[in-house]
Amino acid sequence: MELERISVVLRPRAPREVLDLGAAMLRANAVAVWSAWFAFTVPIFIACNVLGVLLGLPWLGLVLMWWLKPMFDRLPLYVLSRAVFDRAPNWRETLRGQRQWSWRSTLAALSWLRIDSNRALRLPMELLEGAPRKQRMARWKVLRRRIVADTSLLTYGCLQFELVLFLSVWLLVLLLIPSEWLPQSLADFFRHDVRDASTMWTLLGATVAYLAMSAIEPLYVACGFALYLNRRTQLEAWDIDLAFRRLRTRLQALGKVLGVLLVCACVWPMSGHAATPADAPPKPMVTSLQQVFRQPMDSADQRFATAAAETYRDPRFGGEHKLRKWVFKYTPKAATSAQPILFPAFGTALAVVFKAFMWLLLIVAIGALLRFAWRWRGRLAPTPAEPASALSQSVHASVVADAPLPADLAGAARALWQAQYQREALALMYRGCVEQTARLLKVPPSPDATEADWLRQAAAIDDPARAQRVIAIVRTWQFAAYAGRYPDDAGIESLLAGWPAQTGVPA
Amino acid sequence: MLDTVREIETPEGISLHLRAAGALPRAQAWMVDLVLRMGVFTVAMIPLSLFGAGGNGLAMLLLFALMWAYWVVCEVWLDGQTLGKRALGLRVVNADGTPVTWLPSVVRNLLRVVDVLPGVYGVGLASTLIDPYGRRLGDIVAGTMVIHASDLPTGQQVPAAAAVPLPLVLAADEQAALVEFAERSGQLTLQRQEELANLLTPLTARSDTAAVRQLIGHANWLLGRP
Repeated sequence: MELERISVVLRPRAPREVLDLGAAMLRANAVAVWSAWFAFTVPIFIACNVLGVLLGLPWLGLVLMWWLKPMFDRLPLYVLSRAVFDRAPNWRETLRGQRQWSWRSTLAALSWLRIDSNRALRLPMELLEGAPRKQRMARWKVLRRRIVADTSLLTYGCLQFELVLFLSVWLLVLLLIPSEWLPQSLADFFRHDVRDASTMWTLLGATVAYLAMSAIEPLYVACGFALYLNRRTQLEAWDIDLAFRRLRTRLQALGKVLGVLLVCACVWPMSGHAATPADAPPKPMVTSLQQVFRQPMDSADQRFATAAAETYRDPRFGGEHKLRKWVFKYTPKAATSAQPILFPAFGTALAVVFKAFMWLLLIVAIGALLRFAWRWRGRLAPTPAEPASALSQSVHASVVADAPLPADLAGAARALWQAQYQREALALMYRGCVEQTARLLKVPPSPDATEADWLRQAAAIDDPARAQRVIAIVRTWQFAAYAGRYPDDAGIESLLAGWPAQTGVPA
Repeated sequence: MLDTVREIETPEGISLHLRAAGALPRAQAWMVDLVLRMGVFTVAMIPLSLFGAGGNGLAMLLLFALMWAYWVVCEVWLDGQTLGKRALGLRVVNADGTPVTWLPSVVRNLLRVVDVLPGVYGVGLASTLIDPYGRRLGDIVAGTMVIHASDLPTGQQVPAAAAVPLPLVLAADEQAALVEFAERSGQLTLQRQEELANLLTPLTARSDTAAVRQLIGHANWLLGRP
C-alpha cells in the first residue's frame, strides 16, 4: 500500500463525522460506483424475479434481492478502495476484479452472518486485508473496539433511509393521483385491487425496493469503508505517517552538507560537553516561557522608550487626570426578605388580577394614543411649501385685488394664459372687466360685489354688445373658478379682443 | 483531496473549518428530537385529557408548538442546537460560520414543509445526500448549514521528557505532526512507534527506541517545557 497516493484528507475524526466522509467519497465516485452496481445487479434482479414468477412465488424476487445484498456490497467497495489510493476503475474492470477477492467471506456473510449489524466494517477488513482465519479474529477484535456502536447505528440508519425512499415513491404516486380515481378505502384497495393482481403489485414493490436499495447500499458500504479507514488512521497514525514522510523528503532534499551539519547538531546535545565540535552551532538554552519572551534592553529598546516618552508628552495621549468618585467603604448587604407569605394561592390570584389589569391599562393607553393620532392626523402635517419662483411672485402680484391693473390688460392676461397660469389670466381679465364696467356705469367699485352683482349691473349697460361681453367674461370666470372648466385658446382670444380687455376699443 | 470541511477565510486572514454534517448524523439527531417531543406530548396529555374539550385545545396548541416553534426556539436560544443535535454534537450555523439568527432559523424550519415531502422526509434525504455540505432545501434557501460542533478526538498529554532542541526550523504543520506523534504515541504499538520514528532518521540521526525518545524530547521542546 502506498499511503502517499491516498486522495482523502486523513485526520482524527469522530466516528459520526466519518460517516459524512463516506458520503463524500461516494459522491466523488458516483459514476464509477453506480455504473458497476447496475451492470452487476440488474441482470440478477431480473433473474430473481423471473425465477419467482416461474415458481409461482412472486415475493421470492424481493426476498432474494435482500438476501444477496452482501454479495452486491463487493462492487462499491472495490471501486472506492481503488479510487481512494489510485483511480476509480470503470465497470468492466470492477466486474473483472471481483475474481481477485475471495468468495469465502461473502459466503459467510450470505449464510450465518446475514443479519450481522457490523457487516459494513467487516467487509473491508476481510476483503482488503485477506488475513488468515486466526489472525482475522484477533484483528476484528481490535478493529471493532470503540466503533461497534457506530457501525450498528450505521446499519439501522441505512435501513431507515431505504424505508424512507421506498415509502416516498409510493406516497409521491399517491399524491399525484386525482382523488376521484383513488379507491374508496384502503381496505377496499387491498381487498380487490391488490389481491386480484397480486403478482403485478409484488413485482412493482420489488422494483421500488430494488431502486431504494440501489441508492442506499453503496452509501452503506462507503460509510463502512470510511469507518475502516478512520479506525486504521487511529490505530496506525496514518496522518502522522504522511506528515513524517513529507518532512523526510524535504530534509533529504536539503542536501548532504546540511545533513552532516544536522547529524553533528543532533549528536551533540546527547553526548554532553565532552567533545564540542568547533563548528557546531551554539546550543539554544531556552527552557521556559519567561526566557523565551524576555527581551534584552539594548539600544533599540532605549530608542523605543524615548519615543514612547515623547508620545506620552503629547496632550492627546498622556497627561494626568484627576477623577473623583464615590466608593462604598463596605459592600452593601442584599436586603433579605425572610417574611413568609401567608396565603400563597390568594397572593397568586391577586397577582394574576393585577397583571390582567396592567395589560388592560396598556391596551387602553395604546387605544387612546391611536384615537388621538386619528383625530389629529391631518392638522399636524406641515403645509406644503408654496413654490417660490420669481414668475409666481409676479403672477401673484398681478392678480391680488388691491394691486393696480396693468396698462395693457389684454397683453398681460394673454401672457399669463400662455405661461399656463390660466386661472390667474382669467382672474385678471375678470378684474379688468369689473373695473371697466364700474367706470362705464360710473358706480363706485365695491369690494364685496359678487359675480351675480356684476351680471345684474351688466343689464344696466346701454350697449347690448358690451353687456353681452361682460356677461360672457363673468360666466367664463365663474366656470373656471367654481367648476374648473377653462375655455380653449380661441375662446380666450375672442374674450380678450375688444372692449373691456382693450380699453378705448369699441365693442 | 477529499474532505467534508467547508473552509471560510475571515478578513483577518484566519481560516475557519466548518465540518459539515451529512444525512446520517442528522437523521439520528432528528430521531432523538422526535422521541423527546413525543415523550413530552404524551406526558402532557395525561393531565390535559382530564379537561375535556379545553384540554384537547391546549393539547393541539402544544402539538403545534412542538412541531414548529421547538426548532426555532432551540436554535436561537440554545446555541444553534436542538436537544437531539446537542446529544449528537451537531450545530446549526449560518453558511459563513456565524451563529444562526431568527430569520434564517425561521426560514429553514418553515421549509420543512418542502423537505418533509412526500410525508417521510424523502426530499430532504435526497437533498442531503446530493449536496456536498449535506444541506437540505431549507438550509440552502436560508443560507445555513449543520456542522459537527463536538471537539475532535485527541490523544493523551505529551509524556514528559527532557526537552531536546530541534536542530533546524520546522514549518508549523511539521511541528504539529511532531507534537501529534508524541500525543498519540500511547495509542500505537511499540513497533509502529518505531516504524514512524525511523521515517525521521534524517532529523534525529537515530533509529528505533532512541528515535522515539528523541522525537518525544523534540515535542517537549516545542511545547516550551524544560
